[in-house]
Amino acid sequence: MLTKSSFLGIAAAALAMLPATAMAESPTVQQIKERGTLLCSGHNGSYFGFVEVNDKNEWKGLDIDLCRALTTAILGDPNANQIVPLSWAQRFPALQSGDVDVIIKATGWTMGRDTELGLQFSLPYFFGGTQFMAHGDLGITEAKDLEGGTICVEAGTTIERISANYLSTIGVEHTMVSYESAAELRAAYVANRCDAFAGWGPNLAVLRATEIDNPDAHVILSDQLSSEPISAAMRQGDEEFVDVVNWMLAAMLIAEEEGVTMANVEEMAANPPNPKVARLLGAEPGMGERLGLRDTWAREMIAAVGNFGEVYDRNLGANSPYNLDRGLNNLWSHGGVLYAPILD
Amino acid sequence: MADISASAPPSPTTSIGATLRKRAFSSPSDTALTVIVFGILLWLAWTLFDWAILRAIWSAENVDQCGKGTGAGACWAVIDARHRLILFGLYPFDQHWRSTLAAVAIIATVILSCIPLMWTARRIVTLWIVGFATYYLLMEGSLIGLQQVTTDGWGGLSLTLFLFSSVVLLGMPMGLGLALMRRSKMPFVRGFAVVLIDFVRSLPLLVTLFTAAVVIPIILPSWLEGDKIWRVIIAFALFFACYQAEVFRGGFQAIPKGQFEAGAALGLSYWQTLGRIVLPQVFRHALPSTINMVVITFKETALVIIIGFFDIMASAKAAFGTGEWAPHYLEVYVFVALIYWAFIFSLGQYGEYLKGRMAISER
Repeated sequence: MLTKSSFLGIAAAALAMLPATAMAESPTVQQIKERGTLLCSGHNGSYFGFVEVNDKNEWKGLDIDLCRALTTAILGDPNANQIVPLSWAQRFPALQSGDVDVIIKATGWTMGRDTELGLQFSLPYFFGGTQFMAHGDLGITEAKDLEGGTICVEAGTTIERISANYLSTIGVEHTMVSYESAAELRAAYVANRCDAFAGWGPNLAVLRATEIDNPDAHVILSDQLSSEPISAAMRQGDEEFVDVVNWMLAAMLIAEEEGVTMANVEEMAANPPNPKVARLLGAEPGMGERLGLRDTWAREMIAAVGNFGEVYDRNLGANSPYNLDRGLNNLWSHGGVLYAPILD
Repeated sequence: MADISASAPPSPTTSIGATLRKRAFSSPSDTALTVIVFGILLWLAWTLFDWAILRAIWSAENVDQCGKGTGAGACWAVIDARHRLILFGLYPFDQHWRSTLAAVAIIATVILSCIPLMWTARRIVTLWIVGFATYYLLMEGSLIGLQQVTTDGWGGLSLTLFLFSSVVLLGMPMGLGLALMRRSKMPFVRGFAVVLIDFVRSLPLLVTLFTAAVVIPIILPSWLEGDKIWRVIIAFALFFACYQAEVFRGGFQAIPKGQFEAGAALGLSYWQTLGRIVLPQVFRHALPSTINMVVITFKETALVIIIGFFDIMASAKAAFGTGEWAPHYLEVYVFVALIYWAFIFSLGQYGEYLKGRMAISER
């Protein structure tokens, strides 16, 4: 059935037989260059902070900025992409059929997707997990205090299973009430029909910041029930393209680590403070050739969208309506879990 | 109509007060019931009026006055700020006039094809070709020297209208064809129609659309794929046709067999009997259910959200899908509901008009 992916598989196998010294260019990257556009995944509507549409009918959000970064890395122009609106159910078939080149769409890295669906995942760029939010006047801070309480969840999600599992593990008696849609769930919680509700951490924070009268009247409990790595997904069989995506993410993290920002990138490139920055920004050769890109790709990319911290702050963090704490999504050196491979 | 007043006894009092007293206040319990029911209705109407008009915030500049809770009135500021997203979806911002004109072209085509003056084969076909060509040329743009907008970028109201009208226009003749095939005396033709109709009808629309949009490109070679929007329209039209064929079948069953035989006895050909005797009656019998199908189809176009089309429902969701507008989803839904209502109500009224028109022939 998957004619195109098997074709790509054969192509990749053929490429693998070439001598290892010559850096083979990824067939996907070749296709993107020929086409002159990168096809990214959008959303059918919006997904707070990750994929949204602004007043000028243009896409924005964390995932969109990462797509723009990847476009700049490959094609040198942040706008040379086409964001294809996709529903959740549609995203993997759309990738397999070639409707998009890459899925950057708040997509968790799971074993099933990695193996059975024939995908490959990049380094995780975001960690979010199941958490509880409760009414502040209950005076509770952790899930243990939910004894005898009513918990609302969205029906049929992993969140339902994870929270039931967690609460029975720590021995908390509770009543679980499930709702069909997220909107129903929110309304039920706001109307005080449940003491707490379980959801994906970033969504809870967004909800607290935007849809509830007084954000301080609600607490997100400290228990982190799960943590899901969110990665970019690509078709199996094009390792070089995975390298490009991984190093796109890595370069954004290294830039943040080294203090290279959208504002100072040109200056840093002219007078690199250390050899790592010099290599990153293409003042010293080596960055481009090994990926089949230009030596200055990272510099252009950071000039266009900024480093990872800037992208995060603009879409989810301090400079956005959500004001979502970086938490796990900070650099390892600031108490988070994001890190880049070594740039040598 | 006239016979009703003839059979009813002449009413002794005709003043409004007297009628009211008789109908609503004739006994204490009647009076209580009337007061309670109208009290509740008035209270509901007042609450709605108060929320939607009196306490509402109208302009996007005053968005900071919009409350997030239940205390405040409607925040129409969200419509002020986001109406272009709702109406045009992802269509490029500076090209919205094209999308507006295209929507007007489709509406004009539909209205014109509803007028009996246009009901000759040549006129109606010309009208549709001109109407849809205008829509396509304006929306796509590259053929008339405007900036090209691929179908991925189409959205909002003009996409909804386009999907709806192309599905109905393609589906209606297909449905009639399938209904005729189903009545055919040739076993192969009849069998084909029966199997196709039953097969398509036993699939949910969602699955049909998903298959057309997502699965077919995986199976077919890329030169045969075509644009996603055409695949979806064809699949949707096929779905519509299979239901509509059954509606027509009901119409055919209402025609006595003797009429076909009479036609044959008069020396009319199959097509003459069909076109001049049977079909006009079939249409009349099938009209109420047909209007029903058309209205349902208009609403079902919202399902295309699942295959990534930015129809008016999807763009409405995107409109309140950002931090600053998230609390005001209710206002956006009300706005979109009014748009749907305006179109569907007009369709229903047109159906009533047609019924009245056809009733003339039954007198």
